[in-house]
This record gives sequence, structure tokens and C-alpha cells, in this order.
Amino acid sequence: MSYPPQPPYGSPHDQPTQPGFVVPPPPPNHGPQPGYPQQGGYPSQGGYPQQGGYPQQGGYQTPPPHQPPPPPHQAYAQEQFGGPIAPLPTAQGGDGPVVHDVHSLPVNDNVNPYAFSVELNGSYFLQKGKMVAYYGDITFKGVGAGMVDRMLGQHFNSPMHASDWVVAEGRGKLLLADRAFDLNSYDLEDGNLTVRSGNLLAFDPTLRLKQSIIPGFLTLIGTGRFVAASNGPVHFVEPPIRVDPQALVGWADCPAPCHHYDHDYMHGLIGGIRRLTGLGGASGEEHQFEFIGAGQVLLQSSEKLMAERSVGVVGAEAGVPMGGVPSQPGSAGHGGGNPNLPGLGNLGDLGRRFGL
Amino acid sequence: MGFTKINGKMVEAQVVPGQRLFSQRGAMLAYSGDVRFTPNITGGQGGVMSMIGRRVANEDTPLMTVEGQGRVMFGHGGHHVHVIDLFGDTLYVEADRLLAFEGTLRQSTMFMGSQGGVMGMVRGQVTGQGLFTTKLEGHGSVAVMAHGGVFELPIVPGQEVHVDPQAYVAHRGDVRNKLSTALGWRDMIGRGSGEAFQLELSGQGAVYVQASEEKL
Repeated sequence: MSYPPQPPYGSPHDQPTQPGFVVPPPPPNHGPQPGYPQQGGYPSQGGYPQQGGYPQQGGYQTPPPHQPPPPPHQAYAQEQFGGPIAPLPTAQGGDGPVVHDVHSLPVNDNVNPYAFSVELNGSYFLQKGKMVAYYGDITFKGVGAGMVDRMLGQHFNSPMHASDWVVAEGRGKLLLADRAFDLNSYDLEDGNLTVRSGNLLAFDPTLRLKQSIIPGFLTLIGTGRFVAASNGPVHFVEPPIRVDPQALVGWADCPAPCHHYDHDYMHGLIGGIRRLTGLGGASGEEHQFEFIGAGQVLLQSSEKLMAERSVGVVGAEAGVPMGGVPSQPGSAGHGGGNPNLPGLGNLGDLGRRFGL
Repeated sequence: MGFTKINGKMVEAQVVPGQRLFSQRGAMLAYSGDVRFTPNITGGQGGVMSMIGRRVANEDTPLMTVEGQGRVMFGHGGHHVHVIDLFGDTLYVEADRLLAFEGTLRQSTMFMGSQGGVMGMVRGQVTGQGLFTTKLEGHGSVAVMAHGGVFELPIVPGQEVHVDPQAYVAHRGDVRNKLSTALGWRDMIGRGSGEAFQLELSGQGAVYVQASEEKL
């Protein structure tokens, strides 16, 4: 993926210093954190970045550390810029750019619907290419490094393509995003949740990842938090419900779904003609996943799929579904939305192509 | 009845026996209860002649009929959805922007030229509506898709509203619209502002505008 190898990240101290960038001082009772480049890399004085077009009030400086901590960003801005400037927009308002720093970034929460900030202290699993930025001293290790391999053994209880995953280690803040899809974090408490493999971005190492018996899905078991993406906000529904296969993000606690086929309109005289000639087309909703039992089903607001991730191949073995078969036969074909209907005669896709 | 917005990109509809819904094919996300989805050959209401009209007018989005009892969730392509309730007035919208609408609404196809003659046709070309657009009238709800969020601008007499043709989604009520051009010498040499064409709407009603200039 677009994930560069480790050297570019390096240690934080040889990051290029950005002229004019001010790191607000740590709160008083905030001990020096070895990971954060508070003093080393950045100039402690200087102008605020000029990009916002705010009037600069003549060379303000970093407030001395014994002052009250610069708490929320807005107050800080007011203090800095003085004057009756418009209040800085909030992340939710969408009124303009929000300038975040290492302290104003949320802790394990969404920065905006599309970006998620992880307070890292230890290790974290994430899919390759989902990291957009980080503060602090974080190393990203792919497979092959000894430590990581041991962790993989503990947490990836599946023949996963571990090469799709990296382990972030260190301390700091890690920003995750994926092609501007909506991100959500989910807390599991001694639970289980199954999620489409392409939608999972990152997870706590306290969780264990397994390959679901449903091809293309991964199951997370244990206690911890993980981050998943969806095309449009996620909506939780309770069974009994039937879900468009493309709109399904995952499910929690309920038994695995079954297929439900719906060809009501293929009955009767008109239905017979329809069936024989293919005229009339298909509604595109003949096939659903049916959920029963107690639990929660996660839906995304669109039937546009996120690209699936290969979850590896299950070894050929009697009694194992999809054993020995690649789990996504034609991974791109899943989004077609129109299963090859047996009832459409020999016309195949022709009827639909002609808009009938 | 009507549509309940679940989030910006998803609506939920209650389906009760005897009342049909039309929706774009494949736009169902989930349902509970006993609901049937039937492909609609005629592409909406009004019988075969309307179907031919729609085919000719290229306003024949594949639709399906939704019947039964239960609740259905609709969403399509990650587009934002806006619910418009009609109380006897008329909504003009492109057929491919229709996510779902209630069967109580009358659906017909309108020739753009009937709203302003030749300029109406030019307008249709510029806005990408083509020569025809779909008209919905009566009492009921419509779920309309747009790229980016939708906002409603009221149109009151004497105060016309100018809209970028690419951001135009739909309009309702008794509204006259015309294409106003602000072509200057800059546009001739390719240094225009990119806003040479605007849609000018006047009368009584409302226009729905999307927060994007991208087509569906």
C-alpha cells in the first residue's frame, strides 16, 4: 500500500522543524514525556502558522509554563490573538479548519467523522496505509521483526495475511483515516464482533482477531477497542432483520447470518414470463442476509462496498466451509449487486442491460 | 407514513399494506417484516404510455415497487439523502436523484421547453437535466439524493434566487426559472470565473441545492 517503510519516520528529533510552529507548553502537572518532541524539534518561540490569515499581534510568545494550562483550543486562541475575532470553529461545526496540536487532539476518539486519534502507549495493530499522521515516538513494524512475530502469534489466531497489518509501538498520538470514509470506534467488553475485513482499520492488542467462518469477515473477541470504517455513518439495528449484503458492515453477538432469497415476483403467469424471458429485470434485492437471535447488526448507509482485504486461505479440510478455496472469488465482483439469477433464462444480463 | 431520516445518508420508511412505495432498484439496505421488492417495468406510475414517455425522455431510472408490511431502510451510493414532504404541491426533480417516493404521488415527465421555451431547453442542457425532468405532485414524501448535503432556499416573489446549475437538485412550487448568463470578455479568452451560467429562480416555492458541484 502507500505505506512507506520505517526510515522516513525516524526518530522524532530529526523531524524537520517547521518554522513558526508553536507547541503549547505542557500543563503544569504534566511530566515530561519522553516521546513527545516538545523541546527538541520545535522552536519554542515564533509566530503561529500564518495560514489562517489571522492578524498577528506582534510576536506573541509561548506562555510561560507556570501559567494555567492552555486548556481548550478556543480559549488559547483568544488569549493569543486577543481582540474580537470570530471564535475558532469546532470540529463538528465544519465551519473552517481546526488547528490541532498534540494536546488538543482527542484521546481515543474521533477528531472528525473521518479521522480517529489514538493515544498510543504500547502497541496497536493497524492496517497498512491507514496512518495519516502521528505525534510522538512511534515505530511501525511490519511482519518479520522478531518481537512483532511473537505478538502476531498471540493475537492473530488466523492464517491472516499478516502482511496487511503493521504494529505501531511507542507513545504518542496516532491519527488514522481511510479515504474519507466514516470512522467509528467500538468498545468490546468480553464480547465478540464480526466485521467485514476491509472495514477494520485498527484494534487494541487486548483483542484477539480471528477469521470468521463467513468468508471475508473477521471476528474480534475479547475486551478492547477497535476502529472500523464505513461508507456513511453506521446504523445499529436489532434482529430479526434482513440486510442487503453490500450494506452489511458487521454484527455483534448474534449468530452468524443465513442467506435469504426472495423471488416472489417470479411466480404466477407474469412471473413465469419474466422468468423465461428475463424481461422485467430483477429488483436487485433478491438476496439478503437474514439475522435472527439477539444481538446487533451494523449497517452502513450505502451499498457501496469498501475494498475487501484478503483474510487468507483456509486450508483444505473436510467439513470446513470454503476450505482450500480463496475466500473472495473475484473480490471486485462483490459490488455488482446483481447476482446471476438462475431464473433469467439464457439471456443472462441482457435484460438488465436493456433496462428491462 | 413518510420517511424518517436515520442519518444523513439513510432513510427509513414504514411500509403498510395497501400503500406502495417506489424506490430506486438496489437501494434497499435492510428491512424487517414481510416486505416484497418487485422490479417495476414501467419505471414508475402511469401505465405503459408513461413508460414510453419516460423511455423517450431518458427519465427511466430503474425502479422497484416496495409492498408489504414492515420497515425498510434505503440508501444509495453513499449520497446524502434529503426528505421532501409534499402537501399538494409539485416537485421537479431529475429521475436519477429519486431514492424513494410514496405511491400516493403522481409521477409524470415534463418537457423542459414547456418552462421557458428554447431557453428552458438550453437550461436543461447546462444543468445536465436534459430535455426532460420528472414531476411529482400530490401528497406524500420523496427522498432525494444529492452529492453533499442539501439545503433549501425559499423563493419568495420579488426575490429571485440564483443557483449554480451544477449544484441544483430540485425545486418545488410555482417557480419560474431561467438561465442567466454573465458571460464577459474574460470567458471568451478562457479566463472566466467559472460561474458564467446561473439558474435564476423566481416565484413562490423553494429550491434545493447541494453542497457540491458534482453530479450524481
